[in-house]
Amino acid sequence: MDLAVIERGTALVGAIVVGVFASIALKADWNAKGLDNDTTKLLLGLMAFGCLMVLAASFGLIGPKG
Amino acid sequence: MTTAAVEHGHGGDAHGHDEVIYQETRDMRLLGFVLFLCSDVVLFSAFVFAYLYLRGTIDEWPPILNGHQLPRLDLPFAEFNSVVLFGSGVTMHHALENWKHGKKGLFDVFMGATIVLGIMFLCGQAYEYSHAAIGGWSSSIFGASFFTLTGMHGFHVFCGVVYLAILWWQTKKGVYDTGHYFGLTAGTLYWHFVDVIWVGLFFLFYIF
Repeated sequence: MDLAVIERGTALVGAIVVGVFASIALKADWNAKGLDNDTTKLLLGLMAFGCLMVLAASFGLIGPKG
Repeated sequence: MTTAAVEHGHGGDAHGHDEVIYQETRDMRLLGFVLFLCSDVVLFSAFVFAYLYLRGTIDEWPPILNGHQLPRLDLPFAEFNSVVLFGSGVTMHHALENWKHGKKGLFDVFMGATIVLGIMFLCGQAYEYSHAAIGGWSSSIFGASFFTLTGMHGFHVFCGVVYLAILWWQTKKGVYDTGHYFGLTAGTLYWHFVDVIWVGLFFLFYIF
C-alpha cells in the first residue's frame, strides 16, 4: 500500500480521536474560572480546530490540488 | 524559600499566612507565564508576517529554483505528524487532570505518553527535513521561511520535552502535591501553546 495512504488514514483516525478527546476536555472545563482555565480553554479550542483542519486536509477538502 | 516550600506553602509557622502568600505568588507567576506566552506569539507573528510578505512578492508558489518549480511539502506526512503533536496535547491535559485528582499512576502514564509523543514529533520533523525537496535554508524564500519557522517551533518542542521531563522528576521528588502544582499548570499551558503554534504553521506551509 502507498505510504501516503497509510499516513493519511492514520492521521484521519488520529484527528477524530484527538479532536473528540479535546472537545470533551473543553466541555468539562467550560465552566471553570481563572486565567489558567481560560487560557487552557482557548488553547484546547484552537487545538480542536487544528484537528478539524487535519480532517479536512485528509478528505482533500483543503490543501493543494493535484 | 525553596521551590518546594513555595509550592507547598510550608515556609513558616503560620500555615494559613503561607497559604495566602502561595495563592498570591501563584497568581503573579501565572500572569507572568501567560505574558511570556504572549511574547512568544509576538515572536512567531513577526516571522509569519515576514514569510507572508515575502511570499506575496513572488508570482508563482512554490518558487522556481534553478529553472524548476519547487514541489509542495509532503501533506500526508504533515497530517500524521500534526496528529502526533495534537495527541500529546490531549495526553498532557489528562496528566494534569489526573494529578489534580490524586491519581498519580495515571499521571505517570499520561506524562510519559506526552514526552514520547513529543519526541516522536521531533523525529518526524527531522525526517521531513532530510526528505523535503525544497533546497536548503539559504536556497530560496521557501526554504528559508520553512526551516526558520518550523525550526524555531521544533526548538520550542525540544525545550518543552526537557521542561516536562524536569516537571516529572520534580513530582517524584515531592515538589508538588494535589493542591499545589503551579509548575504542572505552567507546563501544560506551554505544551498546549506549542500545539497551537503548530496549527498555524501547518496551515501556512502545507495548506495555504
